[in-house]
Formats: sequence, structure tokens, C-alpha cells
Amino acid sequence: MRGDYSGISGRQQFALIVLRTAIGWHFLYEGYVKLIGPMWTRGGVPVQPFSSAGYLRGATGPLADVFHAMAASPWISTLDIAVALTLFAAGLLLLLGLFTQFGCVLAAALLAMFYISAIPLSGVAEPRTEGAYLVVNKNLIELAAVIVLFTFRTGLIAGLDRWWISRRAPAHQNEAAA
Amino acid sequence: MNLTPEQQALGRRNFLRVLAGTPAIAALGAAAAARGPVPGGPVRVGFIGVGGQGRALLDSTSASHADVRAICDINPNSLRLADEILARNKMPPAKHYVEWKEMLEKEDIEAVIMAPPLWAHADIASGCMEAGKHVLCEKMMAWDVAGCERMRDTARRTGKVLEIGYQRFYNPLYESAYESIVKAGVLGDVYYARLAWHRNANWRRKVESPAPGYDPSRWGYPTLDHLINWRLYTKYSQGLMAELGSHQLNIVNWFFASEPEKVLGSGGIYRFTDREVADHVYTTFEYPGGRTATFTSVESNAFDDFYEMFMGTKGTLILLAEREAMLFEEGAPRGSGVEVASRGGAPVAQTSETVSGTTPDTSAPPVPGAAPTPGSGGQVERRVATRREIERFCAAIRVGTPLACGPDKAMGSARACIKANEVIGPLKPLTT
Repeated sequence: MRGDYSGISGRQQFALIVLRTAIGWHFLYEGYVKLIGPMWTRGGVPVQPFSSAGYLRGATGPLADVFHAMAASPWISTLDIAVALTLFAAGLLLLLGLFTQFGCVLAAALLAMFYISAIPLSGVAEPRTEGAYLVVNKNLIELAAVIVLFTFRTGLIAGLDRWWISRRAPAHQNEAAA
Repeated sequence: MNLTPEQQALGRRNFLRVLAGTPAIAALGAAAAARGPVPGGPVRVGFIGVGGQGRALLDSTSASHADVRAICDINPNSLRLADEILARNKMPPAKHYVEWKEMLEKEDIEAVIMAPPLWAHADIASGCMEAGKHVLCEKMMAWDVAGCERMRDTARRTGKVLEIGYQRFYNPLYESAYESIVKAGVLGDVYYARLAWHRNANWRRKVESPAPGYDPSRWGYPTLDHLINWRLYTKYSQGLMAELGSHQLNIVNWFFASEPEKVLGSGGIYRFTDREVADHVYTTFEYPGGRTATFTSVESNAFDDFYEMFMGTKGTLILLAEREAMLFEEGAPRGSGVEVASRGGAPVAQTSETVSGTTPDTSAPPVPGAAPTPGSGGQVERRVATRREIERFCAAIRVGTPLACGPDKAMGSARACIKANEVIGPLKPLTT
């Protein structure tokens, strides 16, 4: 294992991997449902294809004008696909622990964008939210969790990063010996 | 069955009180929700037969559930009126066809919603399923028992969804009545159900030629009158039993959880001599367990309207005109006595023969689709039921949710109505 984890217990490492897996699945599935287009619930209710236009039109905060312009732009459908693919990619990287740091950056960038587009300032329950928030909402908390993951370089605890680096390590050692 | 407004209000309050004491019906498929969604858009459908009832179905079709690609009818007037419905509902125009087989060959559709005259049901429904299409077929299932069996067997063999359009099965009022009243045993033991569908009109529609020289004979109708008024001719129709009785008998089958075993009946062409089917029928159906249902339909008096009444040892449930439910406890006060009230302009054309586009030879208001009288109690919009029927059909195709009235259930009432027509005839004279 690369990196110094002597100060982190096995349980703590396990908890970090659980956190990364949960966030990874969240992103992966969010991307998946946005990519598959129209769908039906198992109860027989049709669901319209994903479009960020409505979300962007309702954006608030310091970048509201930018988001509103995005909603009105002719390339909104391309943006929808890009957002969905980014969500999916970030989720996949976090789940697999592959290029984990890059996955964390992707996830953090998306979460920051989602947060900035709708900073909760009212302090009361809003439509389509399941609770009341003031400044801190679940997007911000998940962003903080991703920063934690980034800080701990969890790909080196478990994941394909660790496997990939361990394969490269003997070559480096050989080069050093030569 | 005529109650004063006071008694009706009491009955509605009783019904709602019982409903309030029972848990809400679980949402369909809620337990399966954790499996995730199923990819797919609206079901691509074609309509076959867009006469009055076909257009009522089209008018109740949600774009979110069904993408109407094509409509087919041998009557150009019907196609034109169907176009108007699509435009009014802001749905894209659908391609026109005269021959249903051509539509199946040329259109990329998954399902067919069909409402042609009864005699064509078995051929068209079976042909559609053979061609790989799911089918929602307007009631009654088929003109004869052999036709019903052919449709059921084709559905089984092809694995296609076959639903028969009895909108009462999708009416929340009936669902609530069954779950909270019948199934819960509120009525006690029910030995008798009384069904009535009474009208005071001739059931005939004005015949307007869709085009100069229009000749429907190549489709089996020797005259235009036969096409427009097919319900009045035995070649195409099973008369009042099919168009009205099967609706109500199906509800008895549902609430009794069984099918009738014996039937007797009388009736005939008593008032209108311009037809081949009876204008008055009086039938009795015997169910297992000593239970009986009677169905009467008269074309000479509308005072009774139409209703299903279930009389149990503990109470009576009345489902009136598909929009009100009333409950009366046995022995409890029922308010003032029965009042003989003026009915004014009584409704004439009902459920099975929607009149949109085809002018009935009466001053009848168009039903269904017309909003029911607003009020409290168990009133619901009949149109809601038809919309739910189509939505459930689409859901059955996409995600396999169960149908409320598949071929087996529909066959029960169809068989009973067909057999009833066979026994309706001259009675024995009392003087010999």
C-alpha cells in the first residue's frame, strides 16, 4: 500500500471506503437514469426524459443569470447529456477506486455547481425537498464528504488505483536499482 | 329504485363513513418499486374503429402513456372527427387508414386500441395479436362464445396483453365499494343484486353519408344504416345485453367472485319495430350459493336511470350511474319516503354508445366525456375511469402491471349475455 496510513485504523479505512462506495453509487445511478431517457416506474407510471432546463430556469444565487442563459441556450440537450455522463463517470470512478482523485474532483465540481445554483436561504421546506435547510443542505454535505475522500486518497486504501500502482511499483524499483 | 335527495345524501354519507374507516388501497405495484424503473417511452398505438366509443377512448388517451401513430376506420366522418380530438388535445396528427391490416403492416406500433362493431371484435383482435400487437378491445368481448374463446386463446398463445374495456373496473368508486364494502363484509350475505339500465329513447342514430356515393357493402354492411345503427341488427350486435347488460353483469361477477350458472329471460321488440334486437329485456341470472342477479333494460321509461344494487343481510349498496355510491344499513332509518319527482329531460345515450360526432336521433346530452353533476358523496367522473383504463393497459405492456379485466373475466359476462339473448323469446301463454 502506498501512502502512510499508520495513523488510520482498519475500521477508519473501511468507513472511508463505505463512504466512497455510497457516494459513487449515488452519482452512478443519477447519471444512469438521466441517460436511459424516458422510463416507467414498476408501478406503471411513465417518467419523462431528463432535462436540466427546468432546474436551471429556477436557479438562484450569484450565478443565476449564467444558469438561466444555459437553460435558454440551444445546446441544452447537449448539456443534459454532458451532465449525465459526468455524473455517471464520477460515480464509476469512485465505485471502482480508479483515478479516484480525479473522480473526487468531478464529483466535487458537480456538487458545487448544484449547490451554487440553489443555495438554501429561506430556512423553510421548499417544494421538492424533503426537509428544511438554511445554507447547509445535502449537496453541501456530500461536497464536504467528497473533499474528505479526496484528502484521504482512498484509492490507495482499496480500489483499482492501488492495484494499478502496485503493478507499476516493481518497474520503478527496477529502474531505481539500475 | 328512486330515492329522495335526502335519502341519497344519507346513503352517500354512509358510504363515505365506511370508507373513512378502512385503510387506503395500496398503490399498484408499490411493493415492487425498489427494483428500479424500466426504460421506455409512451406505448406506440393505433386505433381501429373511431366511431363514438372509439373517439371516447381516443379523447381519454394521455400523451404521456400512449403515442397515437395511426387511426383506422371505414367511415371517413369518423376519421375526421378523430382528427379534431387529437388537435383539441394538442396531440400530433395520426396517419389515416381504412383497412386495419394495412395499418398493421405499415405502422411501427406496439398496440391497438379498438372499438369497431361487436361482430368484428374476434377477427380484428385475434389478427392484431397474431401480428404481435397488444390489444385493448372495447366491450363486449365478442359477438359469440367461439369468438371470445378465439381471442382468449390467441392472447395466451402469443403472450400479448388483451384487455377488454369495461371502464367500471377502473372507476375508483367501484374499487372503493369492492374493497371497503363488499370484501369487508359490510353488506353481510348478499343473495340478490338488481341491475337496471332504463332509457326512454329509440337508440337509433341519424344516418349521414360521409361522402356522395359512399357504399359500405364491401365491409359487410348492405346499407349505411346498418353501419351507423349496427347495434340494432343481430348480424353485428347482441343488443341491450351486450351494450348495457355486460357492463353491469361484469360487476356482479366481480363482487360475487363467480359467474352465473343459469339464466332465464324474456323480452322482445315491443316499442320500436325498426330493429332486430329487443328493445325491452328482463333477465335473471343464477349464481353459485343461491345468489341471483336480475337485469332489466327498457327503452320506454328512464325514471329508474341505471344502477347496480347489492342487497345483503346487513345492508344495501347502490352504485348509481357510475358516479354515486350509497350505502343503507338494514333496519336503520332512511329519511323520508320515496318521492315521485319530475325527471325532466332524461339522459338517453349512455356509456356504451358515446355520441360524440354521431348525432343520436334524440336530444340527448353527450355521455361519457360530459362532466357529471358536481356534488359531494361518491360522485366521480366517468372519464377518469376510461383514462385510467388506457393508462393501465399501457402500463401492463411496459412493466407488466396486472389488468383489471383480462380475457378470462370478460368472457364470464360475455358468455352470460350471449346465452341470455338465446333464451329471450316468446313465453308460454297462460291461457293454454
